[in-house]
Amino acid sequence: MALTFWRRSSVFAKTTTLPFLVLIVGVGGYSWAQVVLMAFSHLRIEAGEFVWQPAGFDNFREILANELAMYSLAVTALFVVATVVLSVVLGLVLALLVQRSRRLNRISQVVLLWPAIVAPVVVSLIWLLILSPNIGVLNKLLDTVRLPTQDWLGTEAGAIVAIIIVDVWHWTPVAFLMLYTALCAVDEEAIEAARCDGANEWQVIRYIKIPMLMPAIIGTVFIRAIMGVKAFDEMYLLTAGGPNGATTLVSLHIRDVFFDQLNYGYGSAFSVLLVALMSLAIGAGMLVRHLRAIRPFSATREVEA
Amino acid sequence: MTAGSHAIKTGTLADARLRRRKDLADLTCDAVLALLLLLFIAPIVWMIVLSFQSDRAIISMFWELDLTLDNVTAILADDQPFRAQLANSLVIVAGTVVLCGIASTLAAYGLSKLRLPWWLTATVGASCAVVPMLPPMALVPGFYVTLIQTGLLGSLAGLIILNTILNLPFATLLMKIGFDEIPPALQEAASIDGASEARSFWTIMLPLVTPSLITSSLFTAIMTWNEFLMGLTMTSGGTTSPLSVGIASLVQPYEVRWGQLSAVGSLAVVPIMIASVLASKRIIAGMTRGSVK
Repeated sequence: MALTFWRRSSVFAKTTTLPFLVLIVGVGGYSWAQVVLMAFSHLRIEAGEFVWQPAGFDNFREILANELAMYSLAVTALFVVATVVLSVVLGLVLALLVQRSRRLNRISQVVLLWPAIVAPVVVSLIWLLILSPNIGVLNKLLDTVRLPTQDWLGTEAGAIVAIIIVDVWHWTPVAFLMLYTALCAVDEEAIEAARCDGANEWQVIRYIKIPMLMPAIIGTVFIRAIMGVKAFDEMYLLTAGGPNGATTLVSLHIRDVFFDQLNYGYGSAFSVLLVALMSLAIGAGMLVRHLRAIRPFSATREVEA
Repeated sequence: MTAGSHAIKTGTLADARLRRRKDLADLTCDAVLALLLLLFIAPIVWMIVLSFQSDRAIISMFWELDLTLDNVTAILADDQPFRAQLANSLVIVAGTVVLCGIASTLAAYGLSKLRLPWWLTATVGASCAVVPMLPPMALVPGFYVTLIQTGLLGSLAGLIILNTILNLPFATLLMKIGFDEIPPALQEAASIDGASEARSFWTIMLPLVTPSLITSSLFTAIMTWNEFLMGLTMTSGGTTSPLSVGIASLVQPYEVRWGQLSAVGSLAVVPIMIASVLASKRIIAGMTRGSVK
């Protein structure tokens, strides 16, 4: 009877996924196919029409020969590592403090949401109002306490530090929320047992809470890393990739090449390369986890189970 | 420590000292936390403060504080593009929430409660996993060409479709979690009573899944309101762009109106902050639920 029921309803069942498939596979998949096609083509615009010519691997060769392209991959890697480490550590500290605090518990959860829901372009505006060498409040503060003023956005190393700080400020709340949620789900009995055995607060954190949070920490690292590769809006206003291209993250490079230099084939090829590199990194990460998980008698196995 | 013979007395003394130490530790932790919270709010508050300052006070080397509504009235004046951009943003948000809500609810219902052929489940599942990982910028060249080919470049409809694509996988995931929580017995009861699949979806499932729908719609609305990249690359600026792009266009190489800039920024942020206070539980649930999966 169940069989006839399913068979009768299958038309409606298939229809339910139709809008999703039209949008994601139809429009999204078609667009991605265009990117791949463009990556292997030379494109020009003549009289408002695209003119396509097959290019083989020319665009990819051009990328490998382009210093700024290689630099943007390197600086993005640095940006991702720095922002992931800082935001996860800070998020963990916040989660532990918020869970412990009775007075600030409720308000912390509301207030810490704000940076994460502010529009990224407004985030870059907010930090421009702070870091600008002319009108920035940071220089006013430094001046008031008689310290030398800064011009971070005008120097190459300073600008990289600045976008890392801004990104950490912007997205630490997400790391906090994920870790805090996981922390609240940690078994209280294990912590009580450790305290009865005479463990102090630091030992409870180091040997009970952090090991039990490990799956959540790994998940947060993964999500924050993806967000780091995606970063664009915050830097667009704040540094626009400068000074001297020092903060040209991959997304800024693609936009610049595609829309300002109108080099469509190269821009698309760089997109394809970026996605290929991300897939490799994710694949490698999953392989490492898999190998660690099947290693017999390992400690991580018990924690993850 | 001093008197070993007065065991009881030292016991209470040690207790009191321990309690005092714990109170002190709590206080220190709270102080550190309060300082961190301040670091996270102060930048936003500073922008809101600046939107009530005159440009002269902002540029001044000294600490000058004004209270003026000039910036706010200036950006809402007729000759400014912000009213049009505000309207654009509202239309895009409304369109995206509706389109994304319909598509995600239907797909999640199919995935959670109906038997689908394996290739459909696999395709939808794989899309939900892969699309959120792709950098939007990598998709921009393709979207650009697709919108040119369909004549939707620079239109609100085009931006609604792109925003829906970006938000749909996550919304579908949230909705699927919502549908999974509804016990299958309800569906069986409905089918025994003779309700068709479509009917039981409409009259039984949809009302039960409304809380999830509100959460995912709220999330989609915030993401779409904040969206910048697609608005920047798919419109020609001015009155055709959403508000987020309008903010960026105020930062120009020669003259920056800092006060007005802050006012527009505050305009884009304050509504969302208010919404977050009213619905913090939902937003947190949305953020943590979907991302843990």
